[in-house]
Amino acid sequence: VPLYIAATCLAALAAVTLGWFREGLPGDPVAVVTLLVLGLLSILLRERDVGSNITFSFLSIITISSAVLIGPVGSAVVGAVSMAFDRSSRTAAARIFNASMVALQGAAGGLIYTAVGGADLHDELSPGALLMRVGLPLMVVDVAQMLINALLLAGIVRLSWGVPPRRFLVQMITNSGVAYIGYGVIGFLFVILWGPAEVGAFSAVLILAPLFVARWAFVQYGDEQRAHERTLSALVTAVETKDPYAAGHSSRIAQLAEWMAEPLSMGAQEVQDLRFAAMLHDVGKVGVPTRLLRRPRTFGAGDVESLTRHPALGVAAVRDIEFLSGSLEGIRHHHERWDGLGYPDSLAGEEIPLISRVIAVADAFDALTTDRAERPALSPDQALKQIEQRRGRQFDPHVVAALATVLERHEWAVTTATEEELENSRGYLDHDDPIAWERVWTRMAALPSANGTVNGTANGTLPGAEPDPHDAPTRASEPSEPTRIPEDRPVEQVRSP
Amino acid sequence: VIPSLRDLPSTLRLHRVLPVVSIAVAVGAVAAAVASPQLPAKDWGILSVFAVVIAVGEVNRIVLPGGRETAPMSLAAGYALAMTWDVGLDYKVSFGAGVVVATTSVGMLAGAVPALVRRSPVRADDLAARFLSVAVAALLFRHLSVWNGEPLLTLQDDWVTTRWVTAISMVLVSGIALLVQSFCVAMATASRDHRPFWRSLVDEVRQGAGLGAALAASGTLIALAEWPMGIVALPVFLIPLVLTQFAIRRFAGIRETYGQTIRALSRLTEIGGYTRHDHPARVAALSVAMGRDLGMSDRDTLDLEYAALLHDIGQVALREPIPDGATMMAAPADQDRIARDGAGIVRQTNVLDNVAVILESQAKPFRHVRELGEDLPLASRIIKVANAYDDLVGEARTRRARKQAAAIERIHLGLGYEYDPRVVEALIRVLDRRAAVVVPG
Repeated sequence: VPLYIAATCLAALAAVTLGWFREGLPGDPVAVVTLLVLGLLSILLRERDVGSNITFSFLSIITISSAVLIGPVGSAVVGAVSMAFDRSSRTAAARIFNASMVALQGAAGGLIYTAVGGADLHDELSPGALLMRVGLPLMVVDVAQMLINALLLAGIVRLSWGVPPRRFLVQMITNSGVAYIGYGVIGFLFVILWGPAEVGAFSAVLILAPLFVARWAFVQYGDEQRAHERTLSALVTAVETKDPYAAGHSSRIAQLAEWMAEPLSMGAQEVQDLRFAAMLHDVGKVGVPTRLLRRPRTFGAGDVESLTRHPALGVAAVRDIEFLSGSLEGIRHHHERWDGLGYPDSLAGEEIPLISRVIAVADAFDALTTDRAERPALSPDQALKQIEQRRGRQFDPHVVAALATVLERHEWAVTTATEEELENSRGYLDHDDPIAWERVWTRMAALPSANGTVNGTANGTLPGAEPDPHDAPTRASEPSEPTRIPEDRPVEQVRSP
Repeated sequence: VIPSLRDLPSTLRLHRVLPVVSIAVAVGAVAAAVASPQLPAKDWGILSVFAVVIAVGEVNRIVLPGGRETAPMSLAAGYALAMTWDVGLDYKVSFGAGVVVATTSVGMLAGAVPALVRRSPVRADDLAARFLSVAVAALLFRHLSVWNGEPLLTLQDDWVTTRWVTAISMVLVSGIALLVQSFCVAMATASRDHRPFWRSLVDEVRQGAGLGAALAASGTLIALAEWPMGIVALPVFLIPLVLTQFAIRRFAGIRETYGQTIRALSRLTEIGGYTRHDHPARVAALSVAMGRDLGMSDRDTLDLEYAALLHDIGQVALREPIPDGATMMAAPADQDRIARDGAGIVRQTNVLDNVAVILESQAKPFRHVRELGEDLPLASRIIKVANAYDDLVGEARTRRARKQAAAIERIHLGLGYEYDPRVVEALIRVLDRRAAVVVPG
């Protein structure tokens, strides 16, 4: 690495010397000083994080314009001095490397400009000549500077972190290529105004004013976007205030769902929709009577009915937020089952949106790995086993496979609760827990009124209210388990007519 | 001090007067342009390019984060036209301000056509403010004698070696024209939203400052670059402004989304069966009208609106909904707890602290100010009154007038004790205006 930096440094020096012989020193000291001040300002005022992946490099505009305005030597000096004051380079080596790189860009830019026939700005040029003999060469300089930048960075990244240079180059050029074209165009405007329009140094103020305002707006945008995300999570908090035993559930699911998107190779937009749908999937619980969420001693068919309305209520709650339009389906169908026995629309298989299938799995997995009054949290392996047992019935096999992949790559912490919390939550039904939920069905199905005539007065009793030592969670779905729900029992039988 | 614009008769209200004035100016300008000597063909070409760019700029209007509409590209092109003199190295245009104004009016009207065809509303007062602003720039730059009876337009020939002086004079002219625009817009919003004029002007200038700087710079850039580049300079030098416009549009977009999210949050209580249909939205509309009437700034009004939308969010923590969600009827201790729970939920966002502060005090009676010297935020006092009013009247369709009268009477009983008298007066003014709008129709 030190050798590489030294080589960059030497190349920069060589280019500056060559520039000196070919073009001489810059003739206009006022221009050099002005550009130098601008370069320093752009470096010192640089914002760390503009947000939303938009970065503005005023220095790039200045190095491009200086290549034309003050020639290779001047341009190299402006670039090198500005970069030397960059606060973001932590080590001296990084500082030297950055300064040499920008100096090389500047000197090479100045040389290339004359080499490809760029016009001297002191000549009188017609509008057409301005475009062809200043604009075009300037764009060549622009591309050359981008390539120098990308190549040198690829080299140092390869040496320091072993990142394959080809991939780095492609990424870099796709990411900042468009921005560089923009820098070229604005550099061109700057040069025209400075030279042919004879405004001189004051043109910097005029050109940079709209850009500063644009940058200010982008910063505001970033702030507002973060504020918005936080507010959105308040939606979730509001619901969790109502259902304290589900605290943190939504954000855990959002994280897990985002991980699962990767092995399922979902697109960027789909991942965003998934993340928001996962975060807000239970927002409709705000419309479920509080007593059902807190300590339901008894649980009737009418109560199942009100609980199963929560996906639709959730959709109603966030329907008017435009950017969530891609997440609505995901929220509505997150309790559908692969075999078509879920709610609210009894969709089956591929009819269920992928987002919902992912949330269904993540939802159940998180519920199983959470401490409950009637059982301790399952370990991730046990929970995965439970989920895999329901593969092809409740869950999409592909999504279950994705969960297994994710658990190999990421640590998953089970959610623990204190004794006191467990005691308080005795009788709480977690509607996301597949085992507990199946038990509710079974008990209700065992009641005489279950066959299509269930009404709100028929009560099933919840597992927590009547602890059963033989009902260990790991055994809940073994074939010998007497209370296991029959696979072909449609959910409609349980819900009231 | 200033005669109150709110109290003018409705026909004289400025957001209606402004477009009429503009039409008069435009007609006068067209007449002057027709009467003036024949223009050379090259001038016609230049003018038509400007008219087209102004029209395109008008079509690409943007909505600023405050909710006001503007068309940056159209304005920048208008200012550039007002300050156009050398186009190409050896050509000077020969038209005056009348032609500039006529061209601008053609461009702006053409730009409004697509919106009219789509039947989406065109804000006539904002359009008029833009138009008048360009007219002012043209008059200042082309006809106002600055030195030895010469206007800035011809003076720039003396400043060939110091072009930056020309540049500064152009920035100044655009700046003044922008101030004229802000002044017009502030008058229009003051009369439309019934706010004090100074408040509107301050908000207008503060909100428009950033974009204004970009606009003044862009108009100047174009006018200066026309000398070496010819008319090509117009589209080319609008590029930085296009970027600015894009950034501002993104910013306004996320603001809008933010508003949608808050409105969705406000409906959670309704879905949970805690509040009556649309109660938060009604309280918010009423609160905002009262806040404007009391001269709150835009920033404070936005906090007030969000707080009013979320004022019942604390109810989701209740075990059982209170009847009709009418917090006004609940016991004071319960009201206070709901207020604190709501503030707690909102505080967790870490970004809506102002709103949380308002929510915390929303249930406190006004007498705390006098008796305990407590400092209740104005927004909290407004929400308290607006909430009580809506709890009492609601969406009543039948016998609405009588219910309103009864509600006002009941609120009057708590005047000074429960409710701030100044805020109640604002409520009555807002209700009177609403009645005045509804009854004649």
